[in-house]
Amino acid sequence: MADTSLELVQGTLDVLILKSLSWGALHGYAVAEAIGERSGQVLKVEEGALYPALHRLEKRGLLEAEWGLSENNRRAKFYKLTSAGRAHLRAEAQTWTRYAAAVSRILEAA
Amino acid sequence: MRLPPGFKRLLKLAVRPRAVEQDVDDELRFHLELRAEKLQREGLSPAEARETAQREFGDVERVRAECVRLGHERAAEMKRSLFLDALAQDLRYALRTLRKAPAFALVAILTLALGIGSTTALFSVVRGVLLKPLPFPAPERVMRLWQASPALSSPRVSLSQNDLDDWKARQQSFSDIGAWWHVENMSGVDLSGLGDPEELSATYVTDGFFSTLGMAPQLGRAMLSEEHQAGHDAVVVVSHEAWTRRFGADPSLVGRTLTLDGEPHTVVGVMPPSFTFPSEKMDVWLPLSRINERSIPRTRFNRFLNAVGRLKPGVTVEAARLELGGIARQLAEAYPESNAQYGAITVLPLHEAITGDVRTALLVVLGAVGFLLLIACANVANLQLARATLRDRELAVRAALGAGPGRLVRQLLTESLVLAGLGGGLGVALAVWGTEALVGLSLKQLPRLREVQVDGEVLAFAAAATVLTGLLFGLLPALRASTTQLEAVLKAGGRGTVGGRGARLRGLLVVAEVAIAVVLATGAGLATRSLASMLSEDPGFRAEGAAVVSFSVPPPKRERLREYLAEVLEQVRALPGVESAAMVKTLPLENVGEDLGFSRPDHPEDEANPPHMSMMHVSTDYFRTLGIPLLGGRVHEPTDTQDTPLVLVVNQTFARRFFPGEDVVGKSIKLGTTELTIVGMVGDVRQAGLAEPVPPLAYLHLQQSPRGAMNLVVRGQGALLPLAASARQAIWSVDPSQTISRITTLEQVTAEAVTRPRLLAMMLGLFAVLGLALAAVGIYGVLAYTVSQRQRELGVRLALGAQPADVLRLVLKSGMALAGAGVAMGAVGALGLSRVMGSILYGVAPHDPLTFGAVTALLLAVALLACLIPARRAMRVDPAVTLRGE
Repeated sequence: MADTSLELVQGTLDVLILKSLSWGALHGYAVAEAIGERSGQVLKVEEGALYPALHRLEKRGLLEAEWGLSENNRRAKFYKLTSAGRAHLRAEAQTWTRYAAAVSRILEAA
Repeated sequence: MRLPPGFKRLLKLAVRPRAVEQDVDDELRFHLELRAEKLQREGLSPAEARETAQREFGDVERVRAECVRLGHERAAEMKRSLFLDALAQDLRYALRTLRKAPAFALVAILTLALGIGSTTALFSVVRGVLLKPLPFPAPERVMRLWQASPALSSPRVSLSQNDLDDWKARQQSFSDIGAWWHVENMSGVDLSGLGDPEELSATYVTDGFFSTLGMAPQLGRAMLSEEHQAGHDAVVVVSHEAWTRRFGADPSLVGRTLTLDGEPHTVVGVMPPSFTFPSEKMDVWLPLSRINERSIPRTRFNRFLNAVGRLKPGVTVEAARLELGGIARQLAEAYPESNAQYGAITVLPLHEAITGDVRTALLVVLGAVGFLLLIACANVANLQLARATLRDRELAVRAALGAGPGRLVRQLLTESLVLAGLGGGLGVALAVWGTEALVGLSLKQLPRLREVQVDGEVLAFAAAATVLTGLLFGLLPALRASTTQLEAVLKAGGRGTVGGRGARLRGLLVVAEVAIAVVLATGAGLATRSLASMLSEDPGFRAEGAAVVSFSVPPPKRERLREYLAEVLEQVRALPGVESAAMVKTLPLENVGEDLGFSRPDHPEDEANPPHMSMMHVSTDYFRTLGIPLLGGRVHEPTDTQDTPLVLVVNQTFARRFFPGEDVVGKSIKLGTTELTIVGMVGDVRQAGLAEPVPPLAYLHLQQSPRGAMNLVVRGQGALLPLAASARQAIWSVDPSQTISRITTLEQVTAEAVTRPRLLAMMLGLFAVLGLALAAVGIYGVLAYTVSQRQRELGVRLALGAQPADVLRLVLKSGMALAGAGVAMGAVGALGLSRVMGSILYGVAPHDPLTFGAVTALLLAVALLACLIPARRAMRVDPAVTLRGE
């Protein structure tokens, strides 16, 4: 498993968190799981970096959080996108797509 | 005392941040537990699963700390934005409320603007004159030094140059001692050879003058020690003001040669703009040796130097006083004929020496204006209270809808702060204008006026005054609102207030207002009476109808001074419309003449203790031109010349003091070895000022002892300034290069002599009138409100047979009870104030019964007027209407 997973490129984590939350509110653990699953277990979120990122996004007003009950009935902190977060995600996603396309064009040309 | 609700909420807020840590811990624990459970499901033992989860997570502590930090920051930001939101909401609400009561808002804002504005303007003056340190390094160590003569009861006598030299040589307390000679409007030098000739204001200084003050030129250097030696080439230091005004701020001025009084002087330095010592209007500083050579004989009798010293670090004022006092006693023993009476000295910090005589007056006025601000506060608080009572219902509804008492207090305080802010803003504008007006009014009458300006510090004062004012008048109504029983208000259907607490508070405020108004009016009354008694003093001469032209003949031209002055007088007297013209060295009210000791041939005891007099130098016709009566003998005649024996005309005080019971005419006195005969006696003239005692004066004929600096007094028909202008032309017809230092009238000179007391009386009067008006508004407001509240009760009384006169009496009684209490309290306060004012009053006792009586009567009369309007309205209450309303 370790040889197939990639460390996240700097700055990518934020946009992935926002994307994971764009379908609905999740707690931190679920965000980590979601990123792993949706990347086909290629991208591995470093859990130690996840929580500061969540709190930072919350402080920036891109996320808001409230305490609720998890699927197995335990108290958990759920994050969801604010409208500012949604707008930010749209802008970041666009940048990312163009960036990735540009990088792969160069790599394929070589 | 019960803690206001707002505080409790604050305490709760302070506890809450603890929750951030708790939340982060919960969140991280939840994550690790889920991870461990997953690992367990994949087959690890519970302990292994926990351990692996921890390891994969990384440094839990670091993550936790990071999240906690972010959490705290977020909480702080939220608190701030919540607070700002609430503030904005309060502000919007306050503005809306005020807009709904425009009359109230306008009165309150104007009242506050007046209070805050005048306080701020006065503060800017007080700060500039009294509070700002002098613009020298370590100014607290710069001392003003005088000789003191206990025998002559004069603590501030200038120094002779010989004494100064001895002091400097023998003392240890000062790192340096310097001295200067400067007489306003008189010690000038002529600048020639450079465009128009101009008279520059000059100060003659000794070695050590600049170093004692700790000032260095911004260009060039100060004078060197050898440049103070007699015979050295002449040098000059130029002020920044003269450098920019006259020399176009030309940096190459240093090193150039200026022709001053016809002699070449090399410019060695230009001082920085902050340095204008010893006078606001300073052009040049010259070495004292320049003037010594020419006109001031170097004897111990000649006391003309003003001295300053810089205390060495660690030396106290008292130690310096003791040391210099010892030296003064040594000198008194060594030179008994000149120094016997000067065995003591006076040492005062320079700042105190400069501001001493205006300190009390300024502080009294500042106090007055502070009182005015208090009255303004009381009045606005009163208005607020009245409104708050009317608004009880609105507040009750808001409380019923869930606003906590703390929230309501905050709302009311916001409202008063908004009022205060608007008043303060307007007040600052008023203060900027008022400060300029004050500076303009009191020009020359206050020291250090250049330091006065509305700057950051003054604005900070205004802001502080505004906030304090807002709290002061907002707190009472706000606290009252927070404790009003709201259900009772709602039940009463908003018909009015419950209980008498509001009314009692407002009564107390009015009593305080009246009391303060009494203090203000007493101060103004005393200042006015003092001014009046000053003005009623007979100055001893006739001021109206005479013009004054002042000029100074520069030393090179003084060789034929007698002829020159005579020629000028002749030309002026020949002018059409001139009745008489004369010259005098020192005008009445401006200063005394030269202080001289003399002896009387028939009084041998004079040898040990020579009597002193003031020597005046006047031309013929002086007494006629000034309207000074001749009381015996004759005045100076044109036949008294340099070739005939010296004759004196003396004043009454001279005759009474030195020749009591004798006929002074025909007596003679000796100045050194010269004998002078007294040929006439004239009336006393207030030479030193209207409030100053008349010194013994002797008048010497200009032709017998000419002087270079002169005031030409011209009495004639028609307007005075054209007369003065033609007199100036006459002077120029004799010498076109003669500089004129001022043109004025004798009445103007008299007016300037009382500018300071007039200013004091005017300002206190203004504040007293404002205070009185505000107090009247306060009384009226309270009574009008009370009457409107008691309308029903009064109606019932009238219906039950009370006469309108009874109702009138009832209302007047309650109003006058307030006023009476205020007047009584104010009288006590005024007694305290009058004691403070004692030192600046003239010819009136501090507890002057007339003033106190008049103020009491005035206040009661104003109060009665303020009561009458609501009382009359009460009389006209129609019982039928009132009862039908039931």
